[in-house]
Formats: sequence, structure tokens, C-alpha cells
Amino acid sequence: MNLLEIGADGLDTGKPAFFRFRPLGDRVLLTNLEGRFVVLDDADFGRFARGEVEAGTPLFEQLSRENFLRESFDEAKAAAMIRARRRFLDAGPNLHVLVVTLRCNTTCVYCHASRANMDEVETDMTPEIAERAIDLILQTTSDYVTIEFQGGEPLVNFEVVKHAIEYALSKNASAGKQLEFTMVSNFALLDEEKLDYLLEHRVQLCTSIDGPADLHDSVRKLPRADGSAHGHAVRWTRRINERYRELGLEETLYHVEALVTVTRELLHRERELVDTYTELGCRALFLRPLDPFGFADKTQHLIEYPREDYLAFYRRTVDYIIERNKQGVEILERYAAIFLTKILNGEDPNFLDVRQPAGAGIGQLAYSYDGQIFTCDEGRMLDAMGDSSFRLGDVHMSSYRDLVGHETVRAVVLAGQLDGHPDCVHCAYNPYCGIPPVHSHKSQGSIWGRKRESSLCHVHKGILDYLFEKLATADQETLEVLQRWTTSRSRDHFLHRVTVGAV
Amino acid sequence: MRELRFHRDLYAGEQVDAALKVYERFGTFTTSEEGEHFVVRVESKSAARERRLAGELANYALGLTIRGRGAT
Amino acid sequence: MTQRFAGVPDVLAHADLDDSSAELTVDSTLYSLESVYGASFTFIDRCFVFLDRPAEGQLRVTLAAKKSATQDELRGFVGEFANELLACAWREKITAENRGAIEAVTMQALAGAMGPPSLDELEDFDFSEEPFEDPLGIAMSWEEKYGKDKAKRKQGEGPEAAAPEPAEEEA
Repeated sequence: MNLLEIGADGLDTGKPAFFRFRPLGDRVLLTNLEGRFVVLDDADFGRFARGEVEAGTPLFEQLSRENFLRESFDEAKAAAMIRARRRFLDAGPNLHVLVVTLRCNTTCVYCHASRANMDEVETDMTPEIAERAIDLILQTTSDYVTIEFQGGEPLVNFEVVKHAIEYALSKNASAGKQLEFTMVSNFALLDEEKLDYLLEHRVQLCTSIDGPADLHDSVRKLPRADGSAHGHAVRWTRRINERYRELGLEETLYHVEALVTVTRELLHRERELVDTYTELGCRALFLRPLDPFGFADKTQHLIEYPREDYLAFYRRTVDYIIERNKQGVEILERYAAIFLTKILNGEDPNFLDVRQPAGAGIGQLAYSYDGQIFTCDEGRMLDAMGDSSFRLGDVHMSSYRDLVGHETVRAVVLAGQLDGHPDCVHCAYNPYCGIPPVHSHKSQGSIWGRKRESSLCHVHKGILDYLFEKLATADQETLEVLQRWTTSRSRDHFLHRVTVGAV
Repeated sequence: MRELRFHRDLYAGEQVDAALKVYERFGTFTTSEEGEHFVVRVESKSAARERRLAGELANYALGLTIRGRGAT
Repeated sequence: MTQRFAGVPDVLAHADLDDSSAELTVDSTLYSLESVYGASFTFIDRCFVFLDRPAEGQLRVTLAAKKSATQDELRGFVGEFANELLACAWREKITAENRGAIEAVTMQALAGAMGPPSLDELEDFDFSEEPFEDPLGIAMSWEEKYGKDKAKRKQGEGPEAAAPEPAEEEA
């Protein structure tokens, strides 16, 4: 890049509109305030920076179209895109995590959820606490509400799951929300009767599959008598997908969502991982690196890895996923899909952990088994580790407005805006990024954190470097695959719609 | 005995007092004013305990001072 | 026993290994007190933090490890403190520069999430509380704001004499 050659005196501050830039191989990526981008070679970047782009040239047209020039700057166009990227600010929490128990039948080396042994029944949520939580949930200003049943293992306290679903449906008759239920389970305790109930009540089912059987079973351990954790997850994933087909649901849209947590052992087995997912009929793979919550904090010497190794793994894996797409297999990588939607479509898919401000308190609330309420599920996990910084109140004493207007929520909303952060304020990826303050708090000791030293910042920059390299240099077929990943189709079958007054 | 010197420009006097009230039951504190400093002498059963008590007192006074200023 | 850190001038930082502590000297003409407070606060989980002002234009920060610490660990604390201090100082400036945008987003986020208050909440609201600080005296009565003029009026001057003084009196 030739900024040094240009020198401070050579920069023209009158012609370029606001922009940020980042070297991208032998080219330069430029992004602007609203998140449009161009990739220029050195010579064109030099012309742009010196204010020497002549009207009527293709470069001028490109820069003008993408709103990088002052003389043609379209304020209304910029404002519309900024508004679209912040649309989620208009409404309150849509994701409500209900931790119905801490009891769990598996022991995972990195457990994020803070588990209890199966005999610790005092960690079960009571029906009364579930009701109070739902009363609060349905007061959200969001028209869309997802209640996510989590644990521990939520099937351990299935009676309360059922009670919560039925209570929510009855209360929603007057609340009138677009209501969805999801459950995150290892499926080991699932049976046909429970599945019938979950399908009948249109509960979306998610599980974790950490790769091939040997790897999955080495990090997610069931008591020996109960068999293989991988075996249960795979068997029930196939069975549920089969039931969806029997219900006439389109399989590209309706299938079990599976999540992977990337551990050190997985870093060399990317093809086996992708093949495991495609063979199961999964259409998405979310390559989440380890986070610092739960057991992962204690067992990191066994499972952690340098983030450079993760990023190399990420590149190899997504390359392979693209290759499989070109062979006709439809599967996407979720991180890439989130970022590409922001980059290519100019809108935010509202993934709560990669947006600014992050979703804590204003997009998500987590309700623990004992009725305590937190800004997010990670805040609840920290509480289980002895740090109650993200506790907002409880289902008995707190009003809805107490919770979302809490001083902790205000603090994390402020800290979640990257325009207040060194480095981020000048980072070309600012319009697409977001770092949850709870992550900075846990890993760096303050909700602000220091992004240059943040492992999550490192991961985001690495993924975005990869994606922009693809967008700048890939063949047409690859670009079509990446564009397809930004297509979001609503899964209406899972929505419980109510028209207030019609019931 | 361990001595803490709280500079008036850096610590609010009332916050040092508030911190002393919290920790007074854990040791013996003698206070005085010397020029720009509030001086607190800490005595306890052992040197290690004095170090810890002085440190916790200082952290507490610092935390209260910061909170009182609305700094982050 | 006082020890130097390799590569760090002694006047900027040094260690006391017997006490498991390190001292740094901060130029307070470069770094604001708020930045020093901000950086200090991120250490109180691991260290006892003491601040002092040894001379005009200088702040001394002592980081005494809560648990016994080696010289390398103390050097790590010093380095991390320096980085955090820089981040705090810069953040303070950036936040001031971008205050308008940040506050607008925050207000929208909280207002969007909270929605309007219910009638019950309005009924419980204590309207007698001081609503906000009022440095310009917007909410003050005429008499409170221009007490001096009121005194003049008492002395028999005409109402035109009660006009507010130029801005410097309010400043």
C-alpha cells in the first residue's frame, strides 16, 4: 500500500467522503460509514487518496455509486442503510433463554452452560417460576418472541418445558406475539412420546455435533451405560428430519440445527466435520471457536488453541464447504452467512453476538432455573462462576422495564458500540462487527476491553479478511455460492401466530 | 505496621473514611493528615495480614472514589 | 529488593520482588486522571492498586500482586497496565468525539426496548425528585435566577433594570 509514498501532505481531504481502509493482500479494502465497500489496487487507491479520480472514468463511477466521493455523496442513501443496519434498535428482547434445569446427563469438557449432577433436583425450574418468566417475556416490545429452552439438559425437566409452552400459548392469546419455541438438547433422553409433543407444538430442535463419533464422544461424555452421545445425537437428528418430511415440510428449510464447538482436536479434521454434517442433512455449520465461559475456562489447557490455528482451520473448512456447494450440496457456514448478509445485503441479520450494540438486555434476556434474570446466557454462566455483574433482577420482584432499563443494560449498550473503541473506530470492518461486552468483561476484565488484544476481535478480523479476499478474487461460481448464503427464508411452520382480538 | 498515603487530589477524603469504616473491625487503623496526604497506619496480627488489609482498604477507597466521580 | 525490568527505563517502572509489586510512573500531562482511574480499576481483581502524586505532572501507580508474583508476572502487569492506560485515554477522546452518535443509538436502543411506561408505572413515579441537573438555570424561577436583580428592584429601580445580565454572569 502506498500511503507512505503519498505522505500526509499528499492526501486530499476535500474529495473522498468518510472512509476506513485495510490492506487486503496486494489490494486495499475501503468501507464507508454506512458499510458499502470497494476493493482497489494500489494505483487506484493512490488516485482516490490524492483526490485525482477524474469524473467519467470507471473508477469515478464505482466510487460514486458506492458513496465514497463528497461531490456525489447521497446522504439519503447513506441514512437509509445505516437505519437498516440498526433496525433491531426499534424493539426489545426477542430471544428469551429459559434455563429449565442445570441437571445434565452428559459431562462436556468445555460445558458452557454450567451443569449440575442428575440428582441435584433443586436446580430444576418450578412451574411457578416458568410462569412468572413468561409473564415478563410477553411484555417485550418486540413483536417476535423466541423462547429457547436450555439447561443443563432441558429434557431432564420436560414437565416444566411442557408447562411453559402451554402457559405461553395461552397467555399469548392476548399478548399477540409471533411466538417461537426452540430447544437445545443432546437428545439422549428423547423418546417418541416427547418427540410427538415437541413436533405437535412446533418446537424447533437444535443439538450439538462436534464432529465424527470418536471426537464428539471424547468431549461430550455420557455415563458408559447410556451409550454414545454422538450415537444419540445422530440417531435422533435423522429421526426428527424424517418426521419433518412426513409432515410435508421442505427439507432444505426444516431440519435439525446442529452446532459445533471447535476444540483443538478438530482443527485437523475439517473434511470429516463437514462430511458428518452433510451426511446428516444439516444445511448449516457454525464454526464457533471456544469461548471463555463455563468449564472451558478451567479445561482450556486441554482444548484451547492459538487463534491463528483456528483461522487457518476456518479457511480450510469454508474452502471445502464452497467446494461441496459447487458439487450440488447445500450447506453454509453460519459466521460467513452473518457477515456476508451485512456486507452484500446492507442489512443486519440480527445475530445478537455479532452486532452493535450487542443483544445483551436489549435483544436477549436469560432466566435461570431459580428465577434470576441476566442480560444474556453468558451473563448467567458468569454468575454460576461467582460473578454476578450481569444479573438484572428476578422473576418475582422485577418489572419488565426494570430489567431492560437497568443500569447494567445501559452500560453494556454503551460499551457495545464500536465507535467508542480505540482501533474499532478506525477499523474497516466496523460496520459489520460487534463484540459482546460480556466477552470483554470475562477475558479482559472490563466491559470495554482492549480490542487489539481480544481473541474475538482477532477471529472476526480473520474471518472478514477471508471473506473479502473471496469477494475480491473468487470466480463467479464461488461468488454465487456466497451470495446464496445471504438468502434468509422464514420458517413459518415454527411460528405460533395470534391475531389479538380474534381469539 | 504498614503506612498508606492517600493523596488528596487522587482520593476523596470521605471515601477513605467510608473504606476505613468497612475495614476497621479487621485491624487497628491510625489516621492523620500530612500535607497533601491522608495517612493511614495499619496494624494487624502479622505482616502478611497487614499487607492484605492495607491493600483491600486501598482498593476499596479507590473504587469508591472512582464511583463517586462517575468514571469508568 | 528493587529490580529493573529489561527494556524499561527505571524511572518509568521497576519491581519490588520482596513485596511482589511493581511501580510505574505516569506523565499526567499526557494521561488524564480519568484514564488512570479506568486502567487501575481493571487491576483490582489481581492487585492492590495504590496511586500517588510524587511530583507535579507525575502520577505513581503501585500494583501489588494479591498473590506472590515473579518478575515476569510483574512485567506483564506493567505492560498490560500501560496498554490499558493507552486504551482508556484514547477511548475517552473518541467517546467525546462520537458522543452524539453513541448517545443517539443508546437512547433508541433503550427506548425501543422499554417502550412507554404503563399507567401503573406512571402512578408510582416520584415527580418530586430532582429531574436533572440544570446548569443553565432553565428550570429556575426568575427570582432564583436573577436574585441580584431582585435585590436591585427592592432598592426601587425600574423593571427594565431587572433585565438579565450579559452571559458572563450565567457562565
